[in-house]
Amino acid sequence: MTKTIDKNFSMPKCFNERSKPSLYCPGCGQSIFLKHLGFIIDDLEIQGKTTLGIDIGCSLLAWNFFNFDIVQTHHGRSVPVAVGYKLSNKRRIVMSIMGDGGGYAIGLQSLLHAAFRNNPISVFVLNNTGYSMTGGQMAPTSIPGEITTTSPSGKDPKNSGKAFHGPELIKQISDNSAYIARASVSNPIMLQKMIKKTLENQIKNNSFSFLEVLTPCPTNWKTTASESFNFLSKMEKEFPIGEMTKNEK
Amino acid sequence: MKNDLTKIVISGEGGQGIQTIAKVLAESFKDSGFYVSYIPQFGPEQRGAPSISFIQYSTKEIKYPRFYKADYLIVLRERAIPATTTFINSKTKVIFDSSTIRSNIIKQSENKKEAVPATKIAYELFGEKNLNLVILGYLTKYFSLNKNDVWKIISRNLKKKFAKNDKLEDEAKKAFFYGYEIVAEKKIFSKPTFKTEKRIIYTKNDKREAIISPELCKGCGICIEKCPVGALKFSDEIGVYGNRIPEIDIDKCIACGNCFRFCPDCAIKVNKKK
Amino acid sequence: MIDGGYLEKLSYITGNEAAVLGAINGDAECFFGYPITPATEILEGWIKKAEENNNLNYLQTEDEIAAGFAVIGALLAGKKAFTATAGIGHVLMQDPISMAENERLPFVGIIAQRGGPSTGTVIYSQQELNLASYGGNGDGLRIVYSASSVSEVYYLSQKIFSIAWKYRFPTFLLTDGYLAKQRVNTKLEKYLKPFPSSKILREMKDKPTHLRNCYGSEIEFANILKRNIADYKSLINKVSESESYKASDSKYLIIAHGSVASAAKDSVDILRNSNVKAGLLRPITIRPLDSRNIRRLALKAEKVFIIESAFEQFARMIIFKVPEIANKTVKIYKPAEGFTPDEIASLVNEKI
Repeated sequence: MTKTIDKNFSMPKCFNERSKPSLYCPGCGQSIFLKHLGFIIDDLEIQGKTTLGIDIGCSLLAWNFFNFDIVQTHHGRSVPVAVGYKLSNKRRIVMSIMGDGGGYAIGLQSLLHAAFRNNPISVFVLNNTGYSMTGGQMAPTSIPGEITTTSPSGKDPKNSGKAFHGPELIKQISDNSAYIARASVSNPIMLQKMIKKTLENQIKNNSFSFLEVLTPCPTNWKTTASESFNFLSKMEKEFPIGEMTKNEK
Repeated sequence: MKNDLTKIVISGEGGQGIQTIAKVLAESFKDSGFYVSYIPQFGPEQRGAPSISFIQYSTKEIKYPRFYKADYLIVLRERAIPATTTFINSKTKVIFDSSTIRSNIIKQSENKKEAVPATKIAYELFGEKNLNLVILGYLTKYFSLNKNDVWKIISRNLKKKFAKNDKLEDEAKKAFFYGYEIVAEKKIFSKPTFKTEKRIIYTKNDKREAIISPELCKGCGICIEKCPVGALKFSDEIGVYGNRIPEIDIDKCIACGNCFRFCPDCAIKVNKKK
Repeated sequence: MIDGGYLEKLSYITGNEAAVLGAINGDAECFFGYPITPATEILEGWIKKAEENNNLNYLQTEDEIAAGFAVIGALLAGKKAFTATAGIGHVLMQDPISMAENERLPFVGIIAQRGGPSTGTVIYSQQELNLASYGGNGDGLRIVYSASSVSEVYYLSQKIFSIAWKYRFPTFLLTDGYLAKQRVNTKLEKYLKPFPSSKILREMKDKPTHLRNCYGSEIEFANILKRNIADYKSLINKVSESESYKASDSKYLIIAHGSVASAAKDSVDILRNSNVKAGLLRPITIRPLDSRNIRRLALKAEKVFIIESAFEQFARMIIFKVPEIANKTVKIYKPAEGFTPDEIASLVNEKI
């Protein structure tokens, strides 16, 4: 696709221009996250060392998003692929991106064990409280009362649990040297800082790092830009932004 | 034995309400006494890819949802052309939106084409969200369906949307009945003015310069929402998905960087001049 | 003491120990697995070797699914990696194997078959043929070997890595609980044609490797599948293997694989001693089958006996490839149970 793109423009240098405009929906929070991830990869100058594993879900759309090696895996399986890859090629900076379904439902087992073993990979879970690619079903992170296609009367905590707090859970079993945090695209400056710390924990400390990012999904939430950020604020009350403090001994 | 199976493909941009057109049309054929089959094209890239639907109607039960060649192809956006050319044979009648598509890129003989500048009509008269209603109006006449019956089906299907706002239903109704009366263009077609600009829009004053790229902007409106001084609003320029894109009042702009930070598609940035 | 060339010393060894030694000789560097009988000794044996050899890596994962995906991670980095599993673990393994089948990854697995379905027995069967050959949600473009002796486990455990990396299809070695745990003294033979691995994620900034398994349209994916099928067809003659024993003049041809074939070899001699002209054809590759040889020998025979420790899994594959023999084939099956040579001889005699 030949496009007119200003070279001094606003894309991260590690972006694959030929895959833009991307296939993500208008207003997708995951797209915002990927942009800031790109800027930090530029900032840390690790484009030549980065390998990314992605899940099946909206993250599958990132399969050719950046100019570095990317492998699309299976739903909930980008973490074990990253673990095997990092074990075999310790000098690469290995990242995994999943949605809240891949991270906290089908892939939770592997995510917990990677944290438990302190595998030195960086995992990003993008939380939009639902399964988006398949049309907006309820997820562990859906908030009680939230209407989704599989909770048409609102999520009932009595049979579906409340809202799943991933970083808090991971903090319980991870090593003290792990970096675990939650950010939101509502605050891009803090988001960038946390992405940087996540990656640096792998680079400098050879330790596990995990960042949950709250992201809007206007398509399945059926919201305008303003309504999306309103719901994001509501999410931030349920899922506090910040770094998880170290475990007590 | 005469084959009375009619095959229709409808396609356009994801978000244009193509599937609503298809759903309503299929229901209309069903209510007229036909056996129908309706299936959308569904793949993982559906949200960012052209939207396509397949409709068949017949006096006999329809066994198989897909087909290779269409009797009628309705196409509303240039991006959908490559995916739908394959359904054209010498018999296919093509109805296209001349305000977004150049006639000469549709590989079909001229006497089998007709056009409705539906996007232009929608933008100018009823709001772009009613594009699919204009088309539905036209297709109701084209397929000899009863306009009042079809409107009933539309209001049933869009009940939830209309419940949000009374005005929506009024506008939609106007758009639908207007579409019903349209006389299609044949042989001579309007120029497609509602296409994505292939250039970058620079807006500057002596203090700063704004860069907006229609080829990247999907019209999500986040930058407008996040601008602290209201320097951005939707313009008439067209972006990637046939959506409106923002324009900037460069004098109001304070170059805070919010639009750049929040844009999911790197479509906008403001640089301070040195 | 064996001297010279490629024969190594006479070893007193189990099938699982042979698998570990074979994999190391085949330049495997990474193992990921989960404890499951009767394959667990491969996990444990590898770990012992890894403690003495810094080049060898491993991880005992949280389940078989993670083991398979970790294998994929390692081979993307250019390492010869493998897993070993059995039974219900083999079922879970189909998730990562499906990804490997789609993306043409050199996934290697050693499968120690046991009674199934479900937990069944932890002991023995030949019931994982379908699973190894066609288990994922695709058309089963995989290469599957069946070892019939501890010595052959050693040889094939080396070979499967080279075959996988050369042809880029998931490649499996089927053994079973008896072979895995049986200790015998046997000769071990070196595989002489190792094929090297290479980085699949090539780490080139200016030409990044973008691998996917999900496609947007039927046609787009169909083209990928067509190419994979064409590649698979072109390897059939190069990869398929079988061995025959007294088969060229046999009236009664036994077709069997793995442990059953070992017993059947002795049955052939028992039958010949009582003037029954029996012979054995032993496919070494289950996928792709050496159908040329099967057809050549089976058409000559008066009767064909397909014998397996599963319900018609092997028979179905043979008859599909050589349908001409269907009417003269006797299917002898004992799912999850073994056969002794005498037993096979008398079963064959009954039907003559």
